[in-house]
Amino acid sequence: MGTWWKGTALVAERGLLENVRSRTFKIVTGLLLLMSIAAVVVPQILGGERTTYTLATAGKAPAGMVAVLGAAGKSADFTVKYVSRDKEDAVRKAVRDGDATAGLAGDTLYTAASASGTFPVLVAQAVVALETSRQLSEAGLSPAQVAGLQSIQPPKQVSVGPVDDQGRAGAGFAVGIVLYTALVFAGSTIANTVAMEKSTRISEVLLAVLRPSQMIVGTVVALGTVTLFQLLVLAAPLAVAVQVTDKIGLPPVAAGDIGLALAWFVLGFMLFAFMYAAAAALVDKITDVASAIMPVTMIIVVGYVLAISVVMSDPGGGWSVAVSLFPLTAPMAMPIRWASGLVPVWQLVLAMALTAAAAMLLVAVGSAIYRRALLITGRRAKLREVIGGRAAS
Amino acid sequence: MGLEIDDVRHSFGDRLALDGVSFDVVPGVITGLLGPNGAGKTTLLRIMLGVLSPDHGEVRYDGRPVNEEDRRHWGYMPQERGLYAGMSAGDQVVHFGRLHGLSRREATSRAHALLEELGLEDRWSDRTDKLSGGMQQRLQLATSLVHDPVVIVLDEPFNGLDPVAVASLSETLRQRARDGRTVLFSSHQLDLVQDLCEDIAMVDRGRTVLQGNVASLRASSSRRQLRLHVQAPNRDWLRAYAGVTVVSDEADELRLEVPDGIDPLDILDAARAAGRVVDFGLDLPTLSQLFLAAADRTFDTAGVR
Repeated sequence: MGTWWKGTALVAERGLLENVRSRTFKIVTGLLLLMSIAAVVVPQILGGERTTYTLATAGKAPAGMVAVLGAAGKSADFTVKYVSRDKEDAVRKAVRDGDATAGLAGDTLYTAASASGTFPVLVAQAVVALETSRQLSEAGLSPAQVAGLQSIQPPKQVSVGPVDDQGRAGAGFAVGIVLYTALVFAGSTIANTVAMEKSTRISEVLLAVLRPSQMIVGTVVALGTVTLFQLLVLAAPLAVAVQVTDKIGLPPVAAGDIGLALAWFVLGFMLFAFMYAAAAALVDKITDVASAIMPVTMIIVVGYVLAISVVMSDPGGGWSVAVSLFPLTAPMAMPIRWASGLVPVWQLVLAMALTAAAAMLLVAVGSAIYRRALLITGRRAKLREVIGGRAAS
Repeated sequence: MGLEIDDVRHSFGDRLALDGVSFDVVPGVITGLLGPNGAGKTTLLRIMLGVLSPDHGEVRYDGRPVNEEDRRHWGYMPQERGLYAGMSAGDQVVHFGRLHGLSRREATSRAHALLEELGLEDRWSDRTDKLSGGMQQRLQLATSLVHDPVVIVLDEPFNGLDPVAVASLSETLRQRARDGRTVLFSSHQLDLVQDLCEDIAMVDRGRTVLQGNVASLRASSSRRQLRLHVQAPNRDWLRAYAGVTVVSDEADELRLEVPDGIDPLDILDAARAAGRVVDFGLDLPTLSQLFLAAADRTFDTAGVR
């Protein structure tokens, strides 16, 4: 078997070098890197600066007010700047001229005519809270009792949807798009490589030295490695950023989902790559590749459409479970469904095992078709004559 | 010992491509596998190289069935040439050397030597699709010879070559044969390769119709013709040779077909006794004529059966 691996490695090495040296590889990888960096950096820039409100007060702002607004700012992510004016008119003028978001003088809260958001409400709440606690203290309540009354909170709001976390589900949707694109792109690259080798008759020279299994495995390994590398270029900065900073808008668990997506790519790639190679081995002219690989691409398209329609709308439903377990649709449906956060681990493991088993089967079928179809030249080989019985020419 | 092809049969579905082909290929001699298009030559070569499996019969090397390890030391140039378009000429030769088990260093030094021998030394880093047809053909030859194969099999190597390229390829093959390699090539251009091969195997419709040493096959053929310009009053002197037939008889040239078993020199002596021989010559049949004769005979026996 040592010789088998050596020959296969040489085929893979050649395929890898040719691919990496090509202009397409450089452009695609560069674009992916840019996309990944943009996905990390753009939310940082947009959400990076904290909101600053300015409060104008007549005289120095009271210490109690500063303390309450400071606490509110910490939880709602804003800072407050204080400007003091000597007279009430000056406070009013500051708000009108836009020097301050709101102005507080005596019993009056000045707000700009244009909407100034929640800040004036917060200031008003702070005034009420300060006054309430002052009167409660005067009525004889202990500071602990006052603090207890102050800490009464409205009930926590939880938005109810079909998924645990919208952000994570969104990441799952993106993973679905990337997996779909990667499978179709890598598949058609394999198909073109196989058809090129067949139409230029290199395959016949190779068949005299190598076994068909070495040629097909070497080619698939080379292009799988290239595509996996490109996916890493796309995914790695994002996955790291999700872990390190919370500015992306994704929960840390999404990093795990991205890692899982890479595993699904490997499984899905094994499932379809050999089918692409087999389909391409049937054609005689390289221009016929597109129509030959259409059935394989259609399977992926149907899987993807089911994943984004059935699974996205109701991740827990019976159809979603079926689609995410069925081997031909699982590579796209399961990662999307997994991101809903509602999938039991055993279903994930089962889906992966079923896909891996189906991949093994298709590797064998694909290799057999490839081996027989490679020698049928001068016309398009029919699937019927390369399956079962013996090869015809 | 060389190669033995023993009763190889192969059919594609209902179509019988090879119907029991047998012949030997000996080292140090260039052997031609000759026959018209569709005779089964390519199928036979593909079976020898293990690209196809025979339905029946086997190919032996040094007295035992050929295995994968043997074939790693063979070189094969298929009929329709395949080269990686985007790869440089040198890298391509190195790649095939490594596929045949050479180390990268060894493959590189052999590739340099071979490209120099074939006049491609300054094309090392050119992409193959930038080379002319003739250069691509030589590069293809280089990829099949880089590992210094002990058995060299070429399918229609002379197809589409100009006379200069034919002469240069012939010289390359002769050199390999002189070094003791086993060289087998196929061709449908019988007369083009007449002077190159020492041994031939002729196939037609999937069967071997003629095989052996070219010189003796031609010399012993019943189709050889004696051409005489003899100044004799009549042809009575010919009567002594019953098997000899007159092909044409004109004043200055008498053409006789001399069957195997009659020495043409005896007839020449008889002619000289009858009159003055001004000019004479022995025309051996060309390979095409030999083929046509042999193929007809096969056809006849097939008809009788």
